Amino acid sequence: MTTQAAAGPLAPFRVIDLTNELGQLAGRMLGDLGAEVIKVEQPGGDESRFIGPFRGDVVDPEYSLHWWTFNANKLGATLDLTTTGGQELFTRLLDSADFLIETCPPDAAAALGLGVETVRSSHPRLVHTSITPFGREGPYANWKATDLVGTAMGGLSSLCGAPGRPPIRPTASQGFTQASAQAVVGTLIAHYQRTKTGRGQHVDQSMQEAVTFTHDNASPTWDIRGINNGRPGNGREIGGYKSGQYVYEAADGYVAALSYGGLFGLTARQTIEWLDHHGLAGDLTSDEWLAKLDATQGILIPPTGEDGDHLNDVLVAFCKRFTRAQLVSEAQQIRNGWGIVHTPSDLLENEHLAARDYWTEVEHEEAHVTYPGPWARLSKTPISIRHRAPRIGEHNFYVYGNLLGFSDDEIMQLSDEGAI
Amino acid sequence: MAISTVFEGIRVADFAWVGVGPLVSKYLADHGAEVIRIESSVRPEPLRRAPPFANDEPGLDNSGYYADFNSSKQCVSLNLQHPDGVRIAKRIVEHCDIVTESFTPKAMRAWGMTYEDLYEVRPDLIMISMPMYGLTGPWSMWQGYGHVLQAAAGISHLTAYPGEEPIGTGVAYTDFLVPHFAASALLAALDHRHRTGEGQNIDFGQMEAAIHATETMVLDYTVNGREQQPLGAGHPDYRPYGTYQCAARGEDDDRWIAITVTSEAELASLADVAGQPSWTSLEADALDSEIASWTRTQQGEELMQQLQSAGVPAGVVQTPEDLRGDPQLAHRGHFWMLDHPTMGHRAYDGPSFRLSETPAELTKAAPLLGEDNEYVYKDIVGMSDDEYVEHLVSGAFD
Repeated sequence: MTTQAAAGPLAPFRVIDLTNELGQLAGRMLGDLGAEVIKVEQPGGDESRFIGPFRGDVVDPEYSLHWWTFNANKLGATLDLTTTGGQELFTRLLDSADFLIETCPPDAAAALGLGVETVRSSHPRLVHTSITPFGREGPYANWKATDLVGTAMGGLSSLCGAPGRPPIRPTASQGFTQASAQAVVGTLIAHYQRTKTGRGQHVDQSMQEAVTFTHDNASPTWDIRGINNGRPGNGREIGGYKSGQYVYEAADGYVAALSYGGLFGLTARQTIEWLDHHGLAGDLTSDEWLAKLDATQGILIPPTGEDGDHLNDVLVAFCKRFTRAQLVSEAQQIRNGWGIVHTPSDLLENEHLAARDYWTEVEHEEAHVTYPGPWARLSKTPISIRHRAPRIGEHNFYVYGNLLGFSDDEIMQLSDEGAI
Repeated sequence: MAISTVFEGIRVADFAWVGVGPLVSKYLADHGAEVIRIESSVRPEPLRRAPPFANDEPGLDNSGYYADFNSSKQCVSLNLQHPDGVRIAKRIVEHCDIVTESFTPKAMRAWGMTYEDLYEVRPDLIMISMPMYGLTGPWSMWQGYGHVLQAAAGISHLTAYPGEEPIGTGVAYTDFLVPHFAASALLAALDHRHRTGEGQNIDFGQMEAAIHATETMVLDYTVNGREQQPLGAGHPDYRPYGTYQCAARGEDDDRWIAITVTSEAELASLADVAGQPSWTSLEADALDSEIASWTRTQQGEELMQQLQSAGVPAGVVQTPEDLRGDPQLAHRGHFWMLDHPTMGHRAYDGPSFRLSETPAELTKAAPLLGEDNEYVYKDIVGMSDDEYVEHLVSGAFD
């Protein structure tokens, strides 16, 4: 997909983005949706410019792939919020904006002029979104959290990893991802309310609570059965019931195939026939097995114990003999939802994504770089990556000149004073 | 408490099932939209048949899995295979602003209910289709599940123990990831319609959204040619950064704490809490095993308090049970207790953000299958009593 000029649905709106790695995806998503997002950095460059990996492993604030990924579709301006001059400029920036997204620690918000009441009284029309580890208020509000602490305290890590071994981190940074993506939803709900009343409001997003919303059925399982779903390793747990393995090794990598590869459940009959077609169904063709596996009339509680082990053994032996592509395309022909476990190179070479023209070439100074493409395809207001992430202070003249009306000389003076 | 009226007057025909679609419409329902789930007993919504069941009694109106995703909604039963089914569905759509669906593209085409078809019924309609792989392309007819899609999107490749098989998260992860992207696109389209009067179609390929949740995995490959590898609980830039086993709590000897250090100052604080000043000069592997030996003698909750007081990012690996007692989530009112006719008084997850002026309001528990037939078919669609009974008898409402 080539970069297109079409305007996204949020094209009329401006966002001031004051986020660190916890919330940078939120501004990116609003930018993808067409909003003009101005990423405000401290003079000298945002701290997240020093998060790796870097282009060619050269540690340079302009070469951070983290920065590139999360700040494409944003403009960049520098501003020192710890100075009075900087705060005055920031207030004027907010005058021109529709949204403010920030990740300011709750105990530092007041000093930076980012208190909820302060922003609301000076900018009642603004939708002000705070993304913090635990929320702006409450007993843990001033606690610190990395991504792993977020996925731990939100409960997702308790469901990730193998029994008897350490819980693992849903990678890459799913705590940050969830906080940011859910914050966009809250932000746009507040925005819709504003279209009716003209009044903005504060959106208080907690990473911990965002992660709490990713539990599959673990929350009702505890509520109803008093059982904690645990770490299923290479398996799944549903409603407190453990099922067998679901990632299987093929001749050239891995496939994912739930419910014993569909041998159990609504697809049992046709899956047994498929294995049998290759002469690899073993004794599963018997009426006795079919009675245990065919859930077309019954409910969905999977076999365990010896029965489960036997199904696994059959599948392990079966999958090893074929390539991923053959296994998955044959499974799909019998309406059985197997999938390929993709590595990064697999994804870039994937025929389906290529046919959908997914990957997007984005112009950088030295070369074009391939980015993931649109995450939704809107027929009238398409979203796209319009441009790369900004260099440090790249849009200072646009932001302070065109938007706020300062002359070039005044901007140079602001720079000399350290405000920008 | 005032009912959230953000989406008052917005009506949604929700044909979607399982996780992704219902979680998108839940955002709308919990903020005041009238969301009508369109289901059938002939081919029931799969989650209605999935555990946990109230009282461990399987039944279409007894699944806690289904209930959690469908708060504040209504439900009609409608058999789309019945000769009158599609015609009735279109009469519902005529009164709706939004249509959501998550089938493979074959289904809506077979029923004659694609966006182009429904545009004829409702020109300002916003329709979002959320198949695994999108509406077009060679894999568009492929089925899948959240467990499988996390693997297809590259998340499982990164979420594993180092050098081991790509197990991914232990949940149907993308079911709880891509709805936020889909809802964002839908809300932006709703804003566009509010300003311009123009509806549109959204082709939401779940895999294409999920790839955006792999951080720098794609660019590290396209720029550096590097395939990022899983690190278990670890992080590429920080150590110590992991999960460490704590002392047993009562009978439960599976208690863990996440301890992460991102600066010299945090390392010094950690060493101070442990009473081990020499830790600041230990090599990373040695420090890791020292921490693990230490935490094994500590109660996780107490240790978390001590470490956080000292400014070290740390937190217990909380279980679903722990979350129900978590004081921070309680302060925010995350869990809502709602009464369901057959399941009783049950906990529901509310949205994770708080809107200061128009917070979410979970107005009712999940609907019974067909609970709102009379209201929707008579009051919204405008069927007469005779017509309603005729369809009921003919099996259109099965």
